[in-house]
Amino acid sequence: MDIRGLLLVNSGNSREKDSPFLASGPLGTLQVAGKTALDRTAERLQKFGISPVAAVVETAWTQAATANAGPAGLNSVKVPPDRFWRAAENAFNDMAQNGAELVVLVRLGAYAEIDFERLVQFHLDRGSRVSQVSHQGQDLEVFCISASRRNDAASLFRSRLTRCRSECPRMEAGGYVNHLADAFDLRQFAVDILTRQTQTSPAGDEIKPGVWAVRPAMIEKGARVLAPAFVGASARVRTGAVITRCSSIEHHAQVDCGSVVENSSVLPYCYVGAGLDLAHSVAGMRQVANLRRGVTVEVPDRTLIDLVSATSGKTFLSSAAEFLTYLPRVAWQGMISGGKQPQPDLNAALRKTSPALGKAAGYETPACDTEAAHKFPNMVVVRSNGNQ
Amino acid sequence: MEINSRPVVVKRMPERLNSRTAREFLRDVQPFLHSDRPQLVFDLSQVVQLDAAGVEMLLRCMSEAHKRDGDVKLASLSDQAVVVLELTRTERLFEIYETSTDAARSFSGFLPNAMRQQLLHNKRPAAPMAA
Repeated sequence: MDIRGLLLVNSGNSREKDSPFLASGPLGTLQVAGKTALDRTAERLQKFGISPVAAVVETAWTQAATANAGPAGLNSVKVPPDRFWRAAENAFNDMAQNGAELVVLVRLGAYAEIDFERLVQFHLDRGSRVSQVSHQGQDLEVFCISASRRNDAASLFRSRLTRCRSECPRMEAGGYVNHLADAFDLRQFAVDILTRQTQTSPAGDEIKPGVWAVRPAMIEKGARVLAPAFVGASARVRTGAVITRCSSIEHHAQVDCGSVVENSSVLPYCYVGAGLDLAHSVAGMRQVANLRRGVTVEVPDRTLIDLVSATSGKTFLSSAAEFLTYLPRVAWQGMISGGKQPQPDLNAALRKTSPALGKAAGYETPACDTEAAHKFPNMVVVRSNGNQ
Repeated sequence: MEINSRPVVVKRMPERLNSRTAREFLRDVQPFLHSDRPQLVFDLSQVVQLDAAGVEMLLRCMSEAHKRDGDVKLASLSDQAVVVLELTRTERLFEIYETSTDAARSFSGFLPNAMRQQLLHNKRPAAPMAA
């Protein structure tokens, strides 16, 4: 049986309206643990023998959506927003003309691990023209459409997937579903992938148990990446940095010296400054979404959070300068220090304030010098609200 | 016994705390910081933009106050301020209160535990001795 897949990626998903990272496109096109939800869905369709898979992507979002090559066999069509639904309908008609019997239609947004085999069987058993998938009583924008029923398909596309012309039975999905509606969902998606709650896995190789990296990721000597964690292609974790608790550092992101990234996602091309403490957050596009407080704030200070340019000559020049000065620096450090560089200590790293603060960076909390701190050297002593 | 009678200065911080406004703010509070045992409360409720220079200024104020046996406390932190202070690991250095009133009250309310227990012990009638 000829079953084909059609993926739709565009704006206008009502769930995504409050998303702070929409500047780069829908969250379904942002890379999480090395792949976008678009890539993962296409891979999943192909795994179930649904091939070829075509994607219709709104022009405004194509940069993010096609940031990487995507899975083999994904035929992507880029269209402006005003012609999006017409193009989607045309893509469906092309499939029908080329001999498809069934078309599985998925609109991102949500990432759902649907048993497509069961969906097709459900559709055939009911003898329906269009079948839809729901999860816990909520409709997902996942359909199985009989290719010969063009009028039903046209009605569905023209109503922007809100109305079926004929009876549309719902199949309850039992697998993993993430609505990818806000920063919290994005972070949860990364955690679920890294802790293997999903059937999809992180991109790249497992360089040590629970730590995934995509070549050419750069983890400098002295940096600590604690499982589970992910470091994307061309991402850089500099010396003294600590990546821990299901954190994901996406492609071309940089974590500067001494920073601690804990239970956080660093989005593609994001720079995290030196000596920072990024915890329970999603950082990117000069913004930090603090999930514990439920707030998203813009960080205008480029020494703290910045955007790394992928194409500028500045990146090339700085890399070249660093390369040329590497040997003299190593030789100089060898002459000055003479000994082995000590391993970074998490407690010591947490006690220090950020070097981005200039002269005040060396200021340490007096609480660290208390009797208790000497008695329990592994305990980090902090002052929090009030006199606690 | 003398309970704290020194004035507590409450200052509202500007909306944007960058290197220029931080310098101006520091100039404003300098006379208070140079007094004997200064007690300052900074209200950060209006802050919508805080950068490294602003955080550095806060640390400098606290450092100056500590030198003169005083303290700087923060109150009514905006979301922006909290996130940046947490990001730069400086929130743990300050005492932070929900309102300026709470922060100001904390200057007079605070007594070291040892002193408080001694006071309680002095006030309390003698406990009956076990037979």
